[in-house]
Amino acid sequence: MIRFEQVGKRYPNGHVGLHELSFGVRRGEFLFVTGHSGAGKSTLLRLLLAMERPTSGKLLLAGQDLSQITTAQIPFLRRQIGVVFQNHQLLFDRSVFDNVALPLQILGLSKPDIAKRVGAALERVSLSDKAEQFPADLSTGQQQRVGIARAVVHRPALLLADEPTGNLDPRLAAEIMGVFEDINRLGTTVLIASHDLALIARMRHRMLTLQRGRLIGDGEAS
Amino acid sequence: MSEKQRNIKAAERVGAVQSKTDKPIKQGPDFSALFAAWVESHRASLVDSLARLIGQPIGSFFTCLVMAVALSLPMGLALLLDNVERLGGSWQKAAQISLYLKVEAGDDAGLQLRDEIAAMADVAEAEFIGREAGLAEFEQQSGLGQALRELPDNPLPAVVVVTPKEIDKPRLEALRQRLSELPAVDQAQLDLQWVERLTAILGLGDRFVFGLTLLLVMALLLVIGNTIRLHIENRRSEIEVIKLVGGTDGYVRRPFLYMGALYGLGAGLLAWALLAFGLDWLNDAVVRLAGLYGSDFALAGVPAGDGFSLLLGAVFLGYIGAWLAVARHLSELAPR
Repeated sequence: MIRFEQVGKRYPNGHVGLHELSFGVRRGEFLFVTGHSGAGKSTLLRLLLAMERPTSGKLLLAGQDLSQITTAQIPFLRRQIGVVFQNHQLLFDRSVFDNVALPLQILGLSKPDIAKRVGAALERVSLSDKAEQFPADLSTGQQQRVGIARAVVHRPALLLADEPTGNLDPRLAAEIMGVFEDINRLGTTVLIASHDLALIARMRHRMLTLQRGRLIGDGEAS
Repeated sequence: MSEKQRNIKAAERVGAVQSKTDKPIKQGPDFSALFAAWVESHRASLVDSLARLIGQPIGSFFTCLVMAVALSLPMGLALLLDNVERLGGSWQKAAQISLYLKVEAGDDAGLQLRDEIAAMADVAEAEFIGREAGLAEFEQQSGLGQALRELPDNPLPAVVVVTPKEIDKPRLEALRQRLSELPAVDQAQLDLQWVERLTAILGLGDRFVFGLTLLLVMALLLVIGNTIRLHIENRRSEIEVIKLVGGTDGYVRRPFLYMGALYGLGAGLLAWALLAFGLDWLNDAVVRLAGLYGSDFALAGVPAGDGFSLLLGAVFLGYIGAWLAVARHLSELAPR
């Protein structure tokens, strides 16, 4: 599914985000990327989303070389990916329903299809009764669940999450992780960047550890 | 319930696999569905843009008003020039060619000549003035009636006054030359200096209107571009999210293009109204002034054709202005 081959990322100011990173992720796998701030977790996610390009090496996602991808191909790549952010990135002038419907509107689905799929996604995150409300009316945990519903409503092959439990209490964090596991069980590859080692340890999935842009660990969390 | 059954149930619940009532997202080219989705997407963008404009009524109105003023200035000037042209009578009359016929040519020959000339392709009209009619007119206009009556014979030749179809110096000169070579014609006179002056005045007027139009079109593009830039800034986070979830540049651009076109439509309607009211307001004074000179002249309003051209032009300019603004700023809106 994902293949990093000696991938490096050096910024114009000389800062090195990633050093010759090499690893692979199988389809349907659930893994964490962990490390301290500045370790390169976010850079790794940004490369997968084609928000940045590697400066060396080869990065393959579902057979597509992201170091060679054209600007016009990027939106179509992103349609295969769902993204969850720590700060949710919700649109506060749109209802919960409209926020979740956004990827489906972009895909050009019909209104009945959108209604059906948004309903299913909101049910998945237990927010069916909040569809007409606005994000500002929801708690932080509920906002995060709206973000997750939006990330999975179009059934992406890959789900990326950047510190998705960063602002949540442990009970909510565990609940959110449960949702990610549900999604993973359906065949979606899930890659979560997090520095919450206690939470990661409890979940017993594969964990990549980054330090100053280098991969220093790759194994099951314990 | 087995693990497999639980997984299927969970899959159905989250919509990741097909249930009896739910189908997976089609990847193949279903053209009717794609077209319906395309229409729906455009409808949604249009409705969204309209709602945003209506949501800020005062700001939207003043933007349209600024654009309307920029549109109505050159259009109003062109309409005034049309009216002045109408007031001055037909411009073609100023470029008439007078053919003085040989004295021995009788009225019959003159009338036949007039018919021949009137049938020419580049002649709009030909009028025959016989020797007696010419003398009577001269007596009336010059005040020399007594002196003329003392002359033993009518000294004036018959005249054919030729009105050309177009005012174009080389063509007029060629026509004059051709007419002067006709056997019955003694002399062909064309006041070319006046034609040159007239052409120069018309050319100046045209250039002025063109230059003003060009300047105001640029101003209009800047106004719409700046307005759309502000809308883009206000929706920066939304655009970033749309791009992150797979929105193409075209998808991002669409609502702003509709917004530009709607601003243009509003400005066009306002400009039409401004011109109509402005001309109507001026007309009272013009009618009074014309009445003092014994004329029944009145300003013509905005012709429907010109009004619709104004609307179309305004919508087009709004669209182009928005397109330029989005093209300029879209690349800066990469997700962060």
